Amino acid sequence: MTNNLYNVVSLQSFTVFPEYFITLSIIYILIVITLITYNSNGLMLQKAVSECMSLILFMTCYLILNDDFTSASYFVDILSFSNAVIYDSLASFTRFWLCFFSGVYFLFVADSLKEQKLTSFEYLIIILFAVLGLLIMCSSNDLLLTYLAIELSSLAFYVLASFKKTSSYSVESGIKYFITGAVSSAFFLLGSSFIYGFTGSINFFDFYRMYNASIYDYIMVQWFPGIGYLPGFFFESWLFSFSFRSSYARLLEVYDLTFDDLLSGYTIEYFNFVEIGLTLILFSLFIKLAAAPFHLWSLDVYEGSPTSSTIFFAVITKLSILVVLIRLCHMAFFEIKEWWDFYFLSIGVFSIFVGSFGGLKQRKLKTLLAYSSTSHMGYILIAMGSDTFTGVQMALVYMIIYMISSLCVWSILLFLRLKRKNITTKYNKELGDLALLRKSNISLSLALSLTMFSIAGIPPLVGFLAKLGVFLPLIINSYYLPALASIVFSVVSTFYYIRLIKVLYFENILVGKLYYPINSEKTIILSILIFALIFLFCNPTLLYLACYKISLALFVDPVTYSSLPINYLFNK
Amino acid sequence: MNSNTLFIIFSSLLVLCALMVIVSKHPVFSLLFLVGCFIFSSFLLFLLECEFLALLFIVIYVGAIAVLFLFAIMMLDTKSINLSKNVLKYIPAGFIFFIFFLTPVLTLVSDHFNTNFLANSFYFNKYQNWYDMVDSVSDVEVYGHVLYSYFVLHFLIAGFTLLLVLIGVVYLTNNFNKSQILEQSISKQLSRNSSFFFEKFDDK
Repeated sequence: MTNNLYNVVSLQSFTVFPEYFITLSIIYILIVITLITYNSNGLMLQKAVSECMSLILFMTCYLILNDDFTSASYFVDILSFSNAVIYDSLASFTRFWLCFFSGVYFLFVADSLKEQKLTSFEYLIIILFAVLGLLIMCSSNDLLLTYLAIELSSLAFYVLASFKKTSSYSVESGIKYFITGAVSSAFFLLGSSFIYGFTGSINFFDFYRMYNASIYDYIMVQWFPGIGYLPGFFFESWLFSFSFRSSYARLLEVYDLTFDDLLSGYTIEYFNFVEIGLTLILFSLFIKLAAAPFHLWSLDVYEGSPTSSTIFFAVITKLSILVVLIRLCHMAFFEIKEWWDFYFLSIGVFSIFVGSFGGLKQRKLKTLLAYSSTSHMGYILIAMGSDTFTGVQMALVYMIIYMISSLCVWSILLFLRLKRKNITTKYNKELGDLALLRKSNISLSLALSLTMFSIAGIPPLVGFLAKLGVFLPLIINSYYLPALASIVFSVVSTFYYIRLIKVLYFENILVGKLYYPINSEKTIILSILIFALIFLFCNPTLLYLACYKISLALFVDPVTYSSLPINYLFNK
Repeated sequence: MNSNTLFIIFSSLLVLCALMVIVSKHPVFSLLFLVGCFIFSSFLLFLLECEFLALLFIVIYVGAIAVLFLFAIMMLDTKSINLSKNVLKYIPAGFIFFIFFLTPVLTLVSDHFNTNFLANSFYFNKYQNWYDMVDSVSDVEVYGHVLYSYFVLHFLIAGFTLLLVLIGVVYLTNNFNKSQILEQSISKQLSRNSSFFFEKFDDK
């Protein structure tokens, strides 16, 4: 591969166009706003900048939809940047939803930043950095790129959690998040160094081919029907990172039964370092997902951070980590499924247990929702750990529905602004603050109760279909005990969801708290989301179909960018 | 002299420095031995023909991280607590932990590594890699070849992470409350004259 300008600035970057767009917009906004505000005191731009950022993210969604390869990505994966970035259906689907929900988040948050006293523009720039890191995580095919993207987004989160310097809760939660996140990144690095040391590669497709090397890795798949096999000079392109011969040797080392050393004549036993490395990486990702027993940081961090930061942590970061888990377990290390599905099932069931029983005694709303998000991650993990095609499909469906309903709940928490004059002490929403909302804001209490019913899993709302879908792959693979335990715990967790509705509608007090009314832009978006909850129950076809196609497309043979015909128009 | 001699010297000094980090009473002594650890690991890297990484160790570990530790120790109020009188109580348990944790790790490591019996024999002069005399690339060139071509995206994202950290750190440590920060007064510094430093000595 020659190193000239055509290889550095080349069309292969169309696979990362969304990331390029967001990068350039970050740099542009940083420079422009610094030039606007460096000399003037007290200029508050946060509402305008936040809405500008939601525009940027919706434009990124438009960019993803209008990529020529979005619809073709269900049949073809494209690897670019020397096999580090993969553009397949999972990447385009999750990137689209990530940008869409982030855009909706910016619209929700724009007004309330002034009330939370987070008027610096750096807050929004750091959130955009986090979105960039999550985007790269969704489309990475490399252990190193995943680690860099995790670090980029995690560093943004540490700053976001501790952004309110005047509040000691916020600073403390930032420190807790930093220490937990640094330890989990250390686990990730240790696991990936084990895997690299014992396989020789950091590419996910190489791990897949290590267990499944075939003669078709030498022969190019027909790219256009009717053209036939492409000429031979594409063999020098980086179709895979190590050759077939060495992959067979790696296979021998990894499954090494006996190996007689010529010089000293001893045998190497089978040390399953690849599986130990994978386990460490899985633990790191479970810490970041806040699955039990690694969930303790999320309770304090969600409670102490400013509410708009908490919304971002709880809603949007989980999707990318799920994508990394899918790529690692269901694509790269699928052959050793019997090793890692134990972890998924046990940690999933334990998460549901902890999330259900932990929220029973909570009165603080943010910690309550943190426990509930732990239990939701448990459902996703048990779906992932049971079956490949149905499991991945249901995990993605559940994640999207979780994001919609969580966005509804957290934004309603954000919208409720007390009519108070002096805010001198730390004030977080408590369970009793919602009393008599049915009198002051009828439709908001209806929205909150519908969302709570959906999260609890009660038909005719889509949360029921999501939970049903999670139990389906368990039953298919005859995992009856985890399914039974999860169903029982899910019934237990229904208590604290319904208790919220009881406080809204059936509280016997005469005087409640007074809230400001909510302006109409946010109401329109919230009502669209609530409508989606009901609509998706009646017609969930599009979501189910897209996720089904993704789960089938995980094993498509990839096409490297440099072997596409268009590349031969340039001098190579 | 074996080519392993320097390796044995540096690695044993490294282990010794690491031990002294834990055993020292004052934190500044621990820091001194930590700097010694960094320098000896850098020497080990020199022996392994990674010059760039070795110099990078010195610049970054000693030049930045040890200085950071020093500032942190300077700002903290540490009293040297006399822990040495409790050491005898913990020796039996420590010995048991030593045996049960180190034995499997050491056997595992020594099973995977074996020495070349040809190079270790008494009559062996020096191992010469003839290929390296003809066609070899230095450490830095390899980094450049690989980092800017195959790992371009990783490099750019690392740069972006640094930009994010810069923005975050500048925001988090900015303090616009004038009463809480100490500033310098340039005019007072410039208007000092020699009578500021000396008392008038009356010779009486």
